[in-house]
Amino acid sequence: MQRNLTLLHRLINIQIRSQLQYPFSFFMEILGSALIQSFFFISFALVIVRFEEIGGWNLGEVAFIWGMTEFSFGLMDMIFSGFDYDYFGPLIRLGRFDQLLLRPVNITLQVLGSRFVLRRIGKIFQGAVIFLFGLSQVGVNWTPLRIIYIPILIISQVLFFGSLFIIGATTTFWTMERLEILNIFTYGGSEIMSYPMHIFPRAIRLIFTYIVPAIFLSYFPAVFILEKTDPLNAPRIVSFIAPLVSLILLWIALRFWRYGIKNYQSSGS
Amino acid sequence: MKSFFAIVRVSFRRQLTYRAANLSGLATNLMFGFFRAAVLVALYQDRANVNGLSIQGAITYAGLTQALIGFLSFFNWYEMMHSVYDGQVGSDLLKPQNFFFYWLGIDSGRAFGSFLIRSLPLFLVFSLFFEIVSPQTLLQGLAFTVSLILSHLISFGWRFLVNLAAFWTPNALGIGRFAFGLSWTFSGFFFPLALFPEWLARFSRATPFGASVYIPIEVCLNISQGTELIQGLFIQVFWALALLLVDHIILSLGIRKLVIQGG
Repeated sequence: MQRNLTLLHRLINIQIRSQLQYPFSFFMEILGSALIQSFFFISFALVIVRFEEIGGWNLGEVAFIWGMTEFSFGLMDMIFSGFDYDYFGPLIRLGRFDQLLLRPVNITLQVLGSRFVLRRIGKIFQGAVIFLFGLSQVGVNWTPLRIIYIPILIISQVLFFGSLFIIGATTTFWTMERLEILNIFTYGGSEIMSYPMHIFPRAIRLIFTYIVPAIFLSYFPAVFILEKTDPLNAPRIVSFIAPLVSLILLWIALRFWRYGIKNYQSSGS
Repeated sequence: MKSFFAIVRVSFRRQLTYRAANLSGLATNLMFGFFRAAVLVALYQDRANVNGLSIQGAITYAGLTQALIGFLSFFNWYEMMHSVYDGQVGSDLLKPQNFFFYWLGIDSGRAFGSFLIRSLPLFLVFSLFFEIVSPQTLLQGLAFTVSLILSHLISFGWRFLVNLAAFWTPNALGIGRFAFGLSWTFSGFFFPLALFPEWLARFSRATPFGASVYIPIEVCLNISQGTELIQGLFIQVFWALALLLVDHIILSLGIRKLVIQGG
């Protein structure tokens, strides 16, 4: 365990050092990603002024879940970048994954340490700003439970998105290339988690409840924290199962990952 | 000219061979179209019209922007940059074909292929789910087609310019991501520009990004008519020509700087 952690630390350190080789380029990338991402929210903020609210939620309340989701996704995208199927697909196709398999170190650890995208700081930062803006706007009735639940929620979201990345990476064992369709659940999931999810049509909601349980990680917990009325009339307990849902999903993702490795046949190139 | 069309044809055929990728991209864009349409519906509630944009228009907007992603490829294009880094650019520059038009040919074939198997089907499926707004007269349809072609020229002109950065620096990816970030920002891609404050809408529409993404949609949704439509097309022609000119100037400067890598 100790040895593995040291190794992971070292792998990530190399990544960071190499990414800082071109400081100007690096700075532009951070600025660029923070700019793009924050403009999505700024656009929304400019538009909602005309309408005042969306599904009974005002700008501050949306900012609260929007910022939290962006922050968690950015954090996940930095930590789990090795499992990003946009990167992992080519790794498989070019046969470079076979190289990793030959090394006498835990394979999951190697993939995790194979990539660490530092420029995601841009996305993390803009998520934090939006989240803090949301916090300053909403009058939350702070109780110890609500305060403790926020960091737990963020960790749950990171694990939730991370699990989706692991599942996405695993599918490339068979497809040999990244499938854009997975974006529906990862990037699409984070997009719809940024809104109060009751506004979406039933079919979309069902997919993001029973297939990819995104609704338990943003909408239901937010209903509890912000004390919103829930037009879906779900039982109150669903506000609190975010950590459980993400841990189960992570367990499934890791099982699938192991299964994928066991059945892995190289691309042969 | 003949070789230009030969390049377009080959590139068009290549685009059509990626069936799984195209289908998967189509499904993804369609779903994002649904998400964005749902958000707009929730915002509109029972308003029929906001600042000249009807609810049907707003829904169509969500579908159109998603349909155009593959066609314009506005936010993610590093092909020419890669050819600089792997040295392929050396032999490309030796070809008896203008370097700019060589890549324009490749990209036009790709765009046309993507339009046929991604944009059109997506829009057709989208229209099965929603009541949409489409060009009503032949003239409007014609204006829409012209506007789409100009959109592609602007999009290509911008992407070519961004990729030219590779002639100067060994790592232009960051500059590229930043530049493509700018094109997201002012294109009206996230929300219809008509819902923005007046000054920002007008500014965005005048940038090459708004000119490429928003103006054709405006024509399709019949938001702009008469002189406004003509003005919109003029903005597009201006940017297409301006970028063409700038690309050529920068390219001729870049060729002198270029160091061919690898082999």
